[in-house]
Amino acid sequence: MSFSTLQQQAQLQWQEFERPERFRILIGSATCGRAAGSLEVLQAFSDELSQQGLLAATDIYEVGCLGMCYAEVLVEIRGKDGCRVLYQGVEPKHVPALIDAQLLRGEAYLPLALAVINGATGADLPAFNELPIIAPQVRIVMRNCGIIDPTNIKHYLARGGYSGMAKALALTPDAVIEEIKTSGLRGRGGAGFPTGVKWGFARNSVSDQKYVICNADEGDPGAFMDRSVLEGDPHAVLEGLLIAGFAIGASIGYVYCRAEYPLAIERLQGAIAQMREHGFLGENILDSGFAFDIKIKKGAGAFVCGEETSLMQSIEGKRGMPRSRPPFPAVSGLFGKPTNINNVETLAAVSAIMERGGAWYAGYGTEKSRGTKTFALAGKITRTGLIEVPMGISLRTIIEEIGGGVLGGKQFKAVQTGGPSGGCIPAQSIDLPVDYEHLAEVGSIMGSGGMIVIDEESCMVDMARYFLTFTENESCGKCVPCRMGTQHLLKILTAITEGRGTLEHLELMRKIGDTMKNASLCGLGQTAANPVLTTLNYYEDEYRAHIVDHKCPAGACRALIRFDIAVDRCTGCGACLRACPVEAISGEKKQPHRIDQDRCIRCGSCRQACKFEAVQVD
Amino acid sequence: MGSISLTINGQQVEVEAGKTVLQAAREAGITIPTICDHKDLNPYGACRMCIVEIEGVRGFPTSCTTPATPGMLVTTESERLTTLRNRTLELMFSGHPNSCLVCPHREACEQYRPKATKAARSTRCGFCANRDECDLRTMALAASTQDLQLPTLYAGYKLERDDPFMDRDYNLCVLCGKCWRICEKIHGKPAISIINRGKWARIGTAFDTSHVYSGCTFCGACIDICPTGTLTDRFARWQGKAEREIPSTCMLCSEGCSVIAQNKGGQLLANTMTGFTAASSLCALGRFGAAQILSSNQRLIRPLVREGEDQIPMDWQGAVQAAAEGLGPCVAATALVISATTSREDRFLYARLAEHLKGLLVILPTAASSEEEPLQTLTAAMTKGEIRALITNGDFFTADLLRSLPFSLVIDALPSAGSAQASVVLPAAILSESAGTFRTAAGLVKTLAVSSRAPGDARPEWQILSGLGQALGLTGCDFSTVEAITPLVTEDTAPTTFAGDPRENVRELPVRFRGHLLADIVPAFAAFGLPVTPVEVSEEALGEGFPILEKREIAPNMHFFKIKAPQVAKFSLPGQFAILMAKETSERSPFTLVDWNGAEGWITLVIEEVGRSSRELASLQAGDRIAHVSGPLGLPLPIENKGTVLLGGGCYGIGAIFPLARTLRQAGNRVICAIEASSAYLLYMEKELAAVCDQLIIATKDGSQGVRGGIQEVVVQVAEQETIDQFIAIGCTFMMRMVCEVSRPLGISTLVALNPIMVDGTGMCGACRVSVGETTRFACIDGPIFDGHGVDWDELAARRSAYARQEVQALPQTVDLNALMHQPHSHGGGCGCGH
Repeated sequence: MSFSTLQQQAQLQWQEFERPERFRILIGSATCGRAAGSLEVLQAFSDELSQQGLLAATDIYEVGCLGMCYAEVLVEIRGKDGCRVLYQGVEPKHVPALIDAQLLRGEAYLPLALAVINGATGADLPAFNELPIIAPQVRIVMRNCGIIDPTNIKHYLARGGYSGMAKALALTPDAVIEEIKTSGLRGRGGAGFPTGVKWGFARNSVSDQKYVICNADEGDPGAFMDRSVLEGDPHAVLEGLLIAGFAIGASIGYVYCRAEYPLAIERLQGAIAQMREHGFLGENILDSGFAFDIKIKKGAGAFVCGEETSLMQSIEGKRGMPRSRPPFPAVSGLFGKPTNINNVETLAAVSAIMERGGAWYAGYGTEKSRGTKTFALAGKITRTGLIEVPMGISLRTIIEEIGGGVLGGKQFKAVQTGGPSGGCIPAQSIDLPVDYEHLAEVGSIMGSGGMIVIDEESCMVDMARYFLTFTENESCGKCVPCRMGTQHLLKILTAITEGRGTLEHLELMRKIGDTMKNASLCGLGQTAANPVLTTLNYYEDEYRAHIVDHKCPAGACRALIRFDIAVDRCTGCGACLRACPVEAISGEKKQPHRIDQDRCIRCGSCRQACKFEAVQVD
Repeated sequence: MGSISLTINGQQVEVEAGKTVLQAAREAGITIPTICDHKDLNPYGACRMCIVEIEGVRGFPTSCTTPATPGMLVTTESERLTTLRNRTLELMFSGHPNSCLVCPHREACEQYRPKATKAARSTRCGFCANRDECDLRTMALAASTQDLQLPTLYAGYKLERDDPFMDRDYNLCVLCGKCWRICEKIHGKPAISIINRGKWARIGTAFDTSHVYSGCTFCGACIDICPTGTLTDRFARWQGKAEREIPSTCMLCSEGCSVIAQNKGGQLLANTMTGFTAASSLCALGRFGAAQILSSNQRLIRPLVREGEDQIPMDWQGAVQAAAEGLGPCVAATALVISATTSREDRFLYARLAEHLKGLLVILPTAASSEEEPLQTLTAAMTKGEIRALITNGDFFTADLLRSLPFSLVIDALPSAGSAQASVVLPAAILSESAGTFRTAAGLVKTLAVSSRAPGDARPEWQILSGLGQALGLTGCDFSTVEAITPLVTEDTAPTTFAGDPRENVRELPVRFRGHLLADIVPAFAAFGLPVTPVEVSEEALGEGFPILEKREIAPNMHFFKIKAPQVAKFSLPGQFAILMAKETSERSPFTLVDWNGAEGWITLVIEEVGRSSRELASLQAGDRIAHVSGPLGLPLPIENKGTVLLGGGCYGIGAIFPLARTLRQAGNRVICAIEASSAYLLYMEKELAAVCDQLIIATKDGSQGVRGGIQEVVVQVAEQETIDQFIAIGCTFMMRMVCEVSRPLGISTLVALNPIMVDGTGMCGACRVSVGETTRFACIDGPIFDGHGVDWDELAARRSAYARQEVQALPQTVDLNALMHQPHSHGGGCGCGH
């Protein structure tokens, strides 16, 4: 079957999917949605529809993630009159009302309605594309997430999928590499090396066998960009991998995916089977003479296996430990053969670039940082979520518009990017354009896309300690500076947060950090000190307060704080007393309450419970 | 391959293409420090010591992994590189017990104690078997800067010694990876690798199972390549560096592997590989077994001649004469049954003798036992009286058979039930004790070099046979050297190939050596499933002794014991000690009483594991019994109110000062306790001591806690503050000597508790003789507490080290540890090995 026939078939299926006359329910059921209860909601819909005899007239689909984590479970309903509305926070109990309003009456169910996708609802709902969280975004990598059925290759095809592959196979590998170079795409795994240049190296290596690898070992705590794409649009990544394989001359591609992502692996397995059925894998793909196959290798959850040389060792069945470069993978990689490794997001962009052209992609972003970047926006932010923005967007737009500002109206203090390898950007840099160069300038990194918002109640020392706990555990142990340096840094940070630090510790941490940065073997060790070094750089006062005054200014380090109830503010409502897990609070009704300091475990529950800001931390 | 040119430190260097920067630098005579690099291994890049600067290359690449390229501009020395290297080294050492390196008394201590102290875990250089050959130590001492001054992060792993032949102390490991890399190189699939992550990353087997079940072949390469004291050969661990390395041939099976015999003081320490290659691999028997067979304490050391029911020791001449007289009447009725683990020369002479006696010569394969087919036939012939005399050089016949024969001659190195019934027993020098040549199964003739001394009167077989031949009137048999025999050996056949390949699979080891079960000679072999002759343990013996109520390792190598010993507890006084014997065969060892309760009938002790006897004790657990506890012994400390008393304790002395502190304080003294340790993690009983004294002062040699230094620093500090009316120090002799030197000029009355070698503890043997102020005293009944300023410390030190070598040799003979290996292996079951 020719590719254009396949595309025509796909168009027919897509038209059917989009036919306004049919009832349709899309439920965001990536792992995040499932964790929020999407499968229960799905069950409730199918039970209710079946009871009402509407099941045959309604299509229900599990779709990927729209990235609005704060609003899960997300359900898009197309009901009477073809009007489509997006609902947030849906629970099984809401299902009858939703069916009644949206499906049967064509009216939005206002208590949960978030936005209208198209059509008239008769209510004053914002349009989806104009939502503050959506409007500044440009979705290229996430182009199909939450929109198509990720288990159906036809949906992907209908939305332009695999036309990039078809284009590429009609070109020479060198022309494909040129196109990627034109796009200005840089590796989205963190280092930001130009993808086209990297491909060129692997292409120029002469060998009987080459490999391409998709690095789907997303390991940063709090990062879930890759998972979301794999679950919501697996073909976008696999198509990119195939194009990379063609460009460098590889016949085998590996997807190295962590075993903690079972749904992503399931989606990948399904997608690979469909590719094979459609002749996109195997010998002579689209009569081009190009042969390619894709294998999945599950990783056992070691952070260091996200590092390319470790990852290859792991695929080879060895202990995942990095080795020095040179030789670079492009010369001697997997099984000693030339190998190209790209991250999930990079490959998902590749398929879009080949479909729409390098110049189109280069139209987004800044001069040195082209295109878009996804971020997992988390921490003390009103709207947590997965976002994709053009490079160069200001941090302020991300935090204030997309994220809706700091949670609870608290003071914005900093944003941490790049996960355990990254650093902090202080509040004064809120207008910083987000691209590789500017982030590096302030001592942080783009990383794979973790973005954690920090407010005034978060302690920077404690945050550095948190990241070092992670890297100390995840250091593979091979090289000295990383293995020993993380241990010492963590020990010192712990001492400081417990009031046992000394001023000498600050200089010592800088020296250890410098040694780790310059003498460690791989990126893990070279960057593991960053959370310490950048917080020391911007927040040395906070460190000194812990050491000299034995105080935690943010009120977060338990060993250094005490909670007290301000007599003049306490109304004796008893909220704190009920919230206290250790019965440390006593007081008569409508009389000021007291905290027994010996019993108090400094968990802060009382402070959260108090509506009058009477619980004060010192 | 062509050569390329690059510039290192401004010097033009020509090297073969494909070499690394490190190799290029070495060829140019430029030294770059490394730890994880090894000439027989691929580049690894883990220690980060060999970093250099290369123009145009970002950061500091490791020279061991970076290929040299034409025109490269390399700098190996700069201020920045030195700083980074020193800091990296400091980081490495912070994970490797290093308090000795920063100890203010290191030089004096090493002068006083030229050998490292035997210990279980190596808690510091002074307690490390590798001290004298440690490259890390040399490197650290050279890099005198202490820029970071990091605390030691002691991992606290237990000493791994449940596996045969190896002691593994992962607390010392710097993860250079040489062990697993050489394992991979030699065996393809390594039995070991790095396990776990982060701070728990260490060397181990898959699923952390026993090495016996890991595919390990016990070739010993990992031990031989380990740059630290982490992996050690248990038998040779404390013997120090070999004095001579002698190329020779292993004859324990017909393979005849080439070996390097490691010799020290006439003793074989080990046979090591001729190179770190797969082809040079050795099996467990060749690597570890040979040395342990030779040093077996069961060895036959004197000729024996049977008289009636007894075998009487006799000189060689008499014994050979007796043998000749016994064999004389048995011409044409003698059988000679010889093990193939003999040299060509030995066999040549056996054949000459057989010819002369018109006897039947049978040569048995390496692992032959009495079940061998030809032996059955022979046995029948002997029972029928067709054969009346037997010459054998192993354990191939039953005691009954030998007893029933008119004459039997056993020429062997080890006793057996059979040899105990033989008419004459001649002790043989075996393996590397005897020179000659050996024909391998492959037909090669290899040299057997002498690399160790035979014990007692044992002689090489060729020498014995030469004498016996002459006594029997055999002409042309007068050989004074083995070299005289070698040219005469013209017809010898290659031995049959040994069926197993123990170099690949440790379970295919030969079961026997000269008919003796290997595991009977070297019990560790039982761990591989090799059969062993069961030993009967009397049920009664198990029920006797002193029950251990509580036992804990309170600091590395420091074992706290609470023992039920009512009679000792009832009469104990502060300053007294007890003598313990772990079992009936143990030595008597004295230990200071730490606490006791007469009413409840218990005593407590702190036992530092430093030698065989303390190791035997340390291997016991709560619920086990100690064979003997005698005490209280020695004179108690006279308790009076002196005013201010300073008690100084180090090592076991930290526990020993406890009862003194308590009683002295009860008597009204102001008691200051000062305790010292090399590093904070070696301290113990701080809380207990603090509770019984007025002030507790802690000193550590590395400054990790309290005063930097030892008791001698504390004495000076305290003396500046207040008058010390009495000072009592208990600890190692070095510490007691040092504090006496400090307290003497300060005029502080100083008592010390001496710890000389002691045997009976009751004033009979005199082993514990010490000189105190011109008079000879016995520490057991006149002490142990004496005036420190009168002690002849040099004499004490000399007397204490009189048996140093024997103590080292006795260590691996601790039978209890071997007994542990007989226990069935059991673990989580994840590996599917079925145990």
